Amino acid sequence: MSEQEYNPEKGYVALLGWSLNAVEAADKFDRRYVVVAPDWAEAYCKEHDIPYVPWNFERLNDRSVEIAQTLKDMGVDVSIPLFEETVEWAGAINSVLMDKPRLFGQAMLLRDKALMKRRAQLGGIRVGIFEEAHDKGDVIRFLKRVNQTLLKLDGDPNDPIHLKAFDKAGCLGHRVIRTPDEVDSIPDEEFPVLMESHLDGWEFAVEAWIHNGKIAFLNISEYVTLGYSVFVPATPDLEKYRDQIRGEIEKLIKTFDIDFGFIHPEYFVTSDSTMYFGEVAYRPPGFKVFELLEKAYGFNAYQGLILAFDPKTTQEEIKAFFPKEVEDAKGYAGCFGVYPRRRVVSKLEIPEETENHEYFESHELTPPVEETVTKRTAFGTHWGLVYFFGEDPYVMRDLLKHQEDLDFYV
Amino acid sequence: MNDQQSGNAAPVVNLEKLAIKLDDSIRVLEESRSFAKLGKLPPVFDLVRRILQQPEGCAIVEAQAERLENAGVFAGTDWAEPAILLPSLTTYALQSKNTDTVVIEALSELRLLAVARSTYSHPSVSAEQAHHYLTQVLAINLGLLFGMTGEAEREQGKLALISQHVVQYVAQHIGYEHVIDSLIEEIWRILQQRPIQVAGVRKMITQIAICRAEPDADLGSAGRGADRLISSLYGPTRGCSEDPGTVVYQQRLESMDSQTLQNEATGFARSMHDTGLVSPYHASFVRYILEGQDNLLSEALGLSSTGRDCLMCYRELVYTLITEGIFPETAQGLYGLALLLERGILYQPPVAPALWRQARLNLCPQARERLQLAYGYQPQAGAWLIQGVLNILGQPLGVGQGNNPTCQSARALSMWAYNDPDYLLQMVAWAARDNEIVMHFEGQPVSSAQSLGGVASEVTFDLDPVSLVVVPHLDRIYGEMGRLCIGREGDPHRWVNPEFHGWSAGRGFAINVDVATGNLDDLEGFIRHFYASYHPYYNGNQPLIHPQPAGIAVTDRAARFIGWHAITILRVALDPEGEMRVYFYNPNNDSGQSWGDDVHVGTEGCGERFGEASLPLEQFASRLYIFHYDPLERGEPADVGEEELQRVMERVYRSWGENRLPAQDLQAEPPQAE
Repeated sequence: MSEQEYNPEKGYVALLGWSLNAVEAADKFDRRYVVVAPDWAEAYCKEHDIPYVPWNFERLNDRSVEIAQTLKDMGVDVSIPLFEETVEWAGAINSVLMDKPRLFGQAMLLRDKALMKRRAQLGGIRVGIFEEAHDKGDVIRFLKRVNQTLLKLDGDPNDPIHLKAFDKAGCLGHRVIRTPDEVDSIPDEEFPVLMESHLDGWEFAVEAWIHNGKIAFLNISEYVTLGYSVFVPATPDLEKYRDQIRGEIEKLIKTFDIDFGFIHPEYFVTSDSTMYFGEVAYRPPGFKVFELLEKAYGFNAYQGLILAFDPKTTQEEIKAFFPKEVEDAKGYAGCFGVYPRRRVVSKLEIPEETENHEYFESHELTPPVEETVTKRTAFGTHWGLVYFFGEDPYVMRDLLKHQEDLDFYV
Repeated sequence: MNDQQSGNAAPVVNLEKLAIKLDDSIRVLEESRSFAKLGKLPPVFDLVRRILQQPEGCAIVEAQAERLENAGVFAGTDWAEPAILLPSLTTYALQSKNTDTVVIEALSELRLLAVARSTYSHPSVSAEQAHHYLTQVLAINLGLLFGMTGEAEREQGKLALISQHVVQYVAQHIGYEHVIDSLIEEIWRILQQRPIQVAGVRKMITQIAICRAEPDADLGSAGRGADRLISSLYGPTRGCSEDPGTVVYQQRLESMDSQTLQNEATGFARSMHDTGLVSPYHASFVRYILEGQDNLLSEALGLSSTGRDCLMCYRELVYTLITEGIFPETAQGLYGLALLLERGILYQPPVAPALWRQARLNLCPQARERLQLAYGYQPQAGAWLIQGVLNILGQPLGVGQGNNPTCQSARALSMWAYNDPDYLLQMVAWAARDNEIVMHFEGQPVSSAQSLGGVASEVTFDLDPVSLVVVPHLDRIYGEMGRLCIGREGDPHRWVNPEFHGWSAGRGFAINVDVATGNLDDLEGFIRHFYASYHPYYNGNQPLIHPQPAGIAVTDRAARFIGWHAITILRVALDPEGEMRVYFYNPNNDSGQSWGDDVHVGTEGCGERFGEASLPLEQFASRLYIFHYDPLERGEPADVGEEELQRVMERVYRSWGENRLPAQDLQAEPPQAE
């Protein structure tokens, strides 16, 4: 049951997309809220008395204004996207709610990886080499061109290139291509895609809450291995770039003209301390980073999200809500995404050394449904996360790395 | 421990840290909104599992038991209502291969231990109830207790550790010897009520026998009192005292002389009447003597002159019932047969022919299937039903409702077996042969085949054979009769009870609860009327003629209201101490209960017959909320003593009537204490 007691003086927010953790966080917070989600969520919301408006987020069309009008009539002040697919909806709806047409264009920019890179380039932000590909021929040409530039001779191992869908979140549809043969494995329906050169460097992500065009809280998430593991806060090795990173984020805010809300960009830092911009998302990150932040700092990141979006939030509230970065963390929280390593598996068995490790917190793995493991083509979806928490960032990093060598499914 | 581990040895588990993590995860669950609790459960379960795998883990979980339950770990499961948990099911849960099942069962046991040790005061279970329940759990899981692991535990892998740790931990705090001795006491107490269903008792006795035979299990002096129980099942006579198996025993019988056979017969009879349990050897013996030595049958059944007389008159029928229905598996039927003969009901003209029909009854596939599912394929379903019929006619007060909310149906079966045996046999025939029972409600036929459904969504299999076949039909008819009363003002039992149970249920109806508000309604008039109808001092010294359906408000040990329950009032008479008592039948499977406020339902020692429960009339009246009476036989309500009346009413106010006072009463009668 919703037990919320909201403050009528504060804003009224709409959560776009269904996320139980977000709903619970909202319910415990002092801002009035409503969930906007597809009709499959209706029964659950009704049963538990959760404020709800049904909406199927398909492509934007002429009917899109209906939902904006509905929310406006309800007195909603702002909508908050929870998933990549609802980012442009939030832009469209907020442009109506706040009477700022610019917000819609901004959202479209944040939804298209190729457009966002160009915009970043225009803003003087360093990005790698990238191009759009419309067919396999484009991919092969790009692969050759990149390696020519790197002065590789025929027969030298190629540097890989990265292929990403324009408009999908995170690792979905992300492939690494090394040889022209591998190009054949890409299904035609995945095109068009964005191609990027590979940067040898350290990839990391940032979560930044923005209020009045200023950074309210900036977290650096350290990837141990992309697509496998992440932890917060980062090791001192990465945190030493914090000032530089803050500068990059301020550039990003300015370039994309972001006034409020939350961004989740990814960067590379190369051995000579140069930052390369990868991409940016205007929604909560995957891999449960919000949950990790709550574990490490004790504040609810979703509530932070609501604060950052609500136009009625004051500077004092922001100050009181967010802790001091790194210093206030009680420890390091990390998680590891499990992929089965064997082709045939019959049961889930948490390795004893993992389970008995003092950093081990919990896992959300479930027993296997099928015995045969489908081969991973792109960076696929993991089978569940394993959570860790401890005092030492280096122990955490090595522990997460070590999990890659263990079998969770046998 | 495991040499195959890689160089990275498994770190030692730090129990203190785990305890802190558990604390955190419980807090998260506590603070969670109800709609999001489900997602917060897996970490809690996982931590409990990890903690319980450590030998010292149980204490940590027990200490958190109250918080865990309040945080909602049991919400939405059967474990949320500990009062309905069955000790016999714990074996399956504790041996399950499903981690969550083992963990939640272990959690529940530890929670009840906290309740039993009074560190956790539970809203619906008292310390005594918890203690009692845990004793039974231990009894049924003696194997786990003494580390006798079998295939099930091997299959379970590390999970078996949890079950063992928990059972052993519980035993340490309840006391091993105490467990077995109180278990034996418990078995005797249950047997004293002569239930028809003795499967659970048999299982417990078998467990004790296994433990005693196990050289590694150190029982100390405990369990010595179990001899008579064990021998009654596994070796009641000299010929089978070392439990040789029925095949060997069969061979021995062939070489016994008549004196030895005579001794065997008396040995069996003595043991059977001593415990109410029948050994499979007894069945082998009776089938054997039927051919050529049938003069020993009366001896083997332990009959008095009444029973013997009855046997002589209906020899052919009795032989047929034995041949068709008594096998080592259905040996228990012999006890029913002996008591049936002693009751003399065969002299009622319709009963013998009805039993002839029963002996040759063709079962419909549905009835056959239910019997086979519950009892197996050997012997065939018809034999199980004969056993059931013999038992219910011999022990009409031994019927239990099993784990079903069908107290009315069980009560009806018992009432008919007691009072109207040929009608019962008619019901059995309709249900078992035709798969349909038709009763009439105010002239309108009500068919069990066309009913929308009964009170119970599903009738379980833990029932005696007759109930197994007939109760699903009765329950649907009862439900249908209830539906026919929809829209009538007042309690539907007023019309349903007489139509359902038969003409002998009184048409007069008294209730002391206002159905609309749930408040007490004319309590004084109700009690006066009850005394005038049932109490021999106020009704012209008229003993109760027909057993009457009645409704009681069941309360727990703390006298808190639990629910409404159907019983039968059998007789009202002076007990050996000269106190006026009500003797009644309670269809729940064990009548011996404490209802709080010093109301202890007796099952022996106060003049009860087998299967009867009893209470001093005053105490009984204080839990009564519905009774039937004959409107034409009015007693003297005005004669009931004012003081006695007050005492009964106070008992009502102190227990289930506490929150049911109508508003004006509250004003008229300020609380006594002030």
